[in-house]
Amino acid sequence: MIRTSTAPLLIGSVAYTPNVVTVWEGMRDYFAGTDTPIDFVLFSNYGRLVDELIAATVDLAWNTNLAYVRTVAQTEGACRALASRDTDVAFQSVFVSRAGAGFDGLEAVRGRRLALGSRDSAQAAILPVQYLHEAGIDDDDATFLRIDSDVGKHGDTGRSELDALRAVIDDRADAAAIGVNTWRSVTRGEIMAGAIESFWMSPEYSHCTFTALPALSSEWAEAWLANLYAMDWENPDHRAILELEGLRRWVPPNLDGYRSLFAAVADQGIHDRW
Amino acid sequence: MVNHGVVLDLIEQLGRTPAGSTITLDVASGASDADEIADNVDMIATWCRASGNELVESRSDAVVVRHGRSADVLAGLDPDQVPGTRLWMYTNFDCNLHCDYCCVSSSPQTDRRALGADRIARLAAEAEQAGVRELILTGGEPFLLPDIDELVATCTAHLPTTLLTNGMLFRGARLERLRRMDRERLTLQISLDSATSEQHDAHRGPHAWERAVAGIGLALDEGFDVKVAATLPAEQTHEVAPFKAFLGTLGIRPENQVIRAVAHQGAADDGIELTVESLIPEVTITAEGVWWHPVSATDESQFVRREIFPLADAIADVRQRFVRHRETADRAADWFPCS
Repeated sequence: MIRTSTAPLLIGSVAYTPNVVTVWEGMRDYFAGTDTPIDFVLFSNYGRLVDELIAATVDLAWNTNLAYVRTVAQTEGACRALASRDTDVAFQSVFVSRAGAGFDGLEAVRGRRLALGSRDSAQAAILPVQYLHEAGIDDDDATFLRIDSDVGKHGDTGRSELDALRAVIDDRADAAAIGVNTWRSVTRGEIMAGAIESFWMSPEYSHCTFTALPALSSEWAEAWLANLYAMDWENPDHRAILELEGLRRWVPPNLDGYRSLFAAVADQGIHDRW
Repeated sequence: MVNHGVVLDLIEQLGRTPAGSTITLDVASGASDADEIADNVDMIATWCRASGNELVESRSDAVVVRHGRSADVLAGLDPDQVPGTRLWMYTNFDCNLHCDYCCVSSSPQTDRRALGADRIARLAAEAEQAGVRELILTGGEPFLLPDIDELVATCTAHLPTTLLTNGMLFRGARLERLRRMDRERLTLQISLDSATSEQHDAHRGPHAWERAVAGIGLALDEGFDVKVAATLPAEQTHEVAPFKAFLGTLGIRPENQVIRAVAHQGAADDGIELTVESLIPEVTITAEGVWWHPVSATDESQFVRREIFPLADAIADVRQRFVRHRETADRAADWFPCS
């Protein structure tokens, strides 16, 4: 059914930190001053969020890359990616090891212990495994230490990636695969220099994106997007929201950036409702 | 050896913490000695600086870190309340009256403890440079000073000035000193507590009300801008309509009518309790040094520092202490459990 109501657009998101409430209340306040007001619903996991998007409980889902890929699969491609953060269209995975441990590329992982983040994390598990497969390193060629600390949230909390780094520091793993956002966070001030270093950065790929079903008309979607793109880093009120959500500006999604994840999901037989 | 794991612990905890709130992180666990703990703290300080989070406090075994930066305490104030916007100077502490609620225990027997012309001149000059927008001279009774007209002229040459007085001494040479003051740059603030003599005189002495009212009239007739300030028991500060009406009949504009509660300071046996934690500071200078607020300029717990000069440093010191007090209070509020 095509949306015709003038009620606020209902956006679904996953509550992976208390700050999500602050972000969405800020977004709701911002959009209240536009012609496309919104409200929001928080879910405990992405599987449920995708379910409720498909069930039309929400009009839009703030999806991770895996949630977008699973939405595409479950709607046979009928869904539409609307917008991403600027930081989402150039995301990367990073392989790290103890400094001086002799890692110089993916091939060095062969025969070693690799700590991976939660199994539903695209950046810290699914794509790193795919990069290894593409490099000719199969699951039996290395020992994967899977750290499923935050399953259901697609690695959003960062906890499993921090746990993977701990495994390296504690010598329970020789290397770890994490998202570039976590890597940038832990290396602020170059405090990890001489302790942990990266030895391989993945090609860029796409991460989160707002996802809608055809029930949201193009007219509604375009009007909402115009207001979304109007958020301005130089505006202190907008900036407080953007900063907390980890972006400087909203941008159109880069659909090509999801290809690697579509391939990984297919090759690894990733569960439909992850 | 530094333990990088503590930074991972910190990042994880901050991720679960609302922006603006603080966490306390153990930095001693697993450390073999104090040097190792210090290295951990240094690493966390470096990370906080680079990541936009705030290291609020370092203890011997733990650090307190805020997720993001704290709100700017001073920016949250009304601009007129920012410490250092106004500068109070106690010209002297002796007084012709012996009010039973005087916040600094002034009386005819009180030592003068004059701030002095040289310091007042330097303060006025430095105040202008330091961004102060108004000077306020108080006592004691400033008109007891033989050079009060010169002190006021020194101040009005730099900034708009308010002179607090009981208004009872405008006679003879003192009246001539008043007449030499700059009517364009000076406001007189005269104390008067009630619309009739009983309450005022009960605290200030016989005939004080009559002479204060006469002083108000004289000052107005001389062309001065006159404020009237009443000091009342806290429970009476909302029952002032008749008093305000009376002040209107004297020609005191509503914006020049100041009502304040008796503070439990100085000679007062009771009154509202004011502490550095509960009082937004107004930088106050006496012969002894710098104080938190004029209402507490003899309360040792609110003494800030002995060094008055440079004034900008004294103002900065008061501001820093105020920010620390507010942040401490905010942290306590963050932590205070419901049960």
